[in-house]
Amino acid sequence: MNGTAVKNQLIFDFASGILGPAKSLFASTYLHLNSNASRIGSVFENVLGENLMDNENILPKSLKYTDCMNNENSKPISNLKDPVTTFFGDLNNLKWKQVYKGFKEYAAPINDKDELKLIKMDPGVSVPIHSHGGKEYILVLEGSFCDEYGEYSKGDIQINDQKIKHTPIASNNSGCVCLSITEKDVIFFGRYGSFLNLFTFIKSFFKQK
Amino acid sequence: MDKLKLNDLMKRIQKDRDEMAFSQIFDLFAPKVNSYFIQNRINLESSEELTQEVLSTVWVKSNLYDSKKSALSTWIFTIARNKKIDFLRKNSKINFKEEDIREFLYQDREIDLIEENEAKKQIERINNELDEQQKIIIKMNFFENKSHKKIADELEIPLGTVKSRIRHILTKMHGFLR
Repeated sequence: MNGTAVKNQLIFDFASGILGPAKSLFASTYLHLNSNASRIGSVFENVLGENLMDNENILPKSLKYTDCMNNENSKPISNLKDPVTTFFGDLNNLKWKQVYKGFKEYAAPINDKDELKLIKMDPGVSVPIHSHGGKEYILVLEGSFCDEYGEYSKGDIQINDQKIKHTPIASNNSGCVCLSITEKDVIFFGRYGSFLNLFTFIKSFFKQK
Repeated sequence: MDKLKLNDLMKRIQKDRDEMAFSQIFDLFAPKVNSYFIQNRINLESSEELTQEVLSTVWVKSNLYDSKKSALSTWIFTIARNKKIDFLRKNSKINFKEEDIREFLYQDREIDLIEENEAKKQIERINNELDEQQKIIIKMNFFENKSHKKIADELEIPLGTVKSRIRHILTKMHGFLR
């Protein structure tokens, strides 16, 4: 399930800049937390950098080099800053939504075909029935979780396709905070979880009237 | 221009803030970076603005470049790529979701009470009784979180029709859920 090829594909797609906003943030966090992934990313970037030199030249019409020299006062950037904190700010200040006891999530306000969420699980809590037609990517930011396939700690990534059935459980000591990507190509009535969502929705919809 | 020459130019920028060295870096890279953005389907005007941001970063943050770690083209490529990602993120407007299914899910404590079998049976019934177009609309609205407007655009039907169809479908479904 955690095929190296799938992970490398994600890293390569990020390095080349073809990922959408949600996956880009996910992948840059992965590279930030995982030194092995970051090393692979650098290899790809070297190749892509060389390709840049082969680009055709399209002169910017109204830009001179002096236009690029008057930003001395711009704020310093740090390459070391964690992309998640840069984007979300302090995670403790977010308006987390409790999905059920011990399981909270926060959906990133990014408009993309993929959905990016933060997930926070209390120690020992397990993941409920949920459904995805597409792939699901999970990156551990803090703590750890385990499932039938192994244990995942900070900087580890798990990529699940729809065939995978597993029951992740947050570590008993620390719980866990993860970043997740859900590809939104949901198949209608294809997964039980979606049925349950729909069913619940209809009930609540009519209760409100 | 070979790598030694490029590294020499960068050193002059880093140490002496040498403007002539920067103008040479600009002449070499600005057209390639600009064409990178254009190739990525960013319009001409924005491509030039982004090119300006990239080259400004090269000038202002020149001390972050380390020739031992990567080639200059690699460093500039990653700056351009990151600008592109930021640009796309900032320009993807956040759609207000007219009916976000999760809003309802999270508020509904009864989720724990729903028996799996009960849900399964009811849903099979929904699946059998909705026609193809009704399924498509429900799929787009509740599973893909598309707005009514977006559904109307994609199916090429009026917005009012989408709204009334969704209401009709929900009413029909409510009927079988009783």
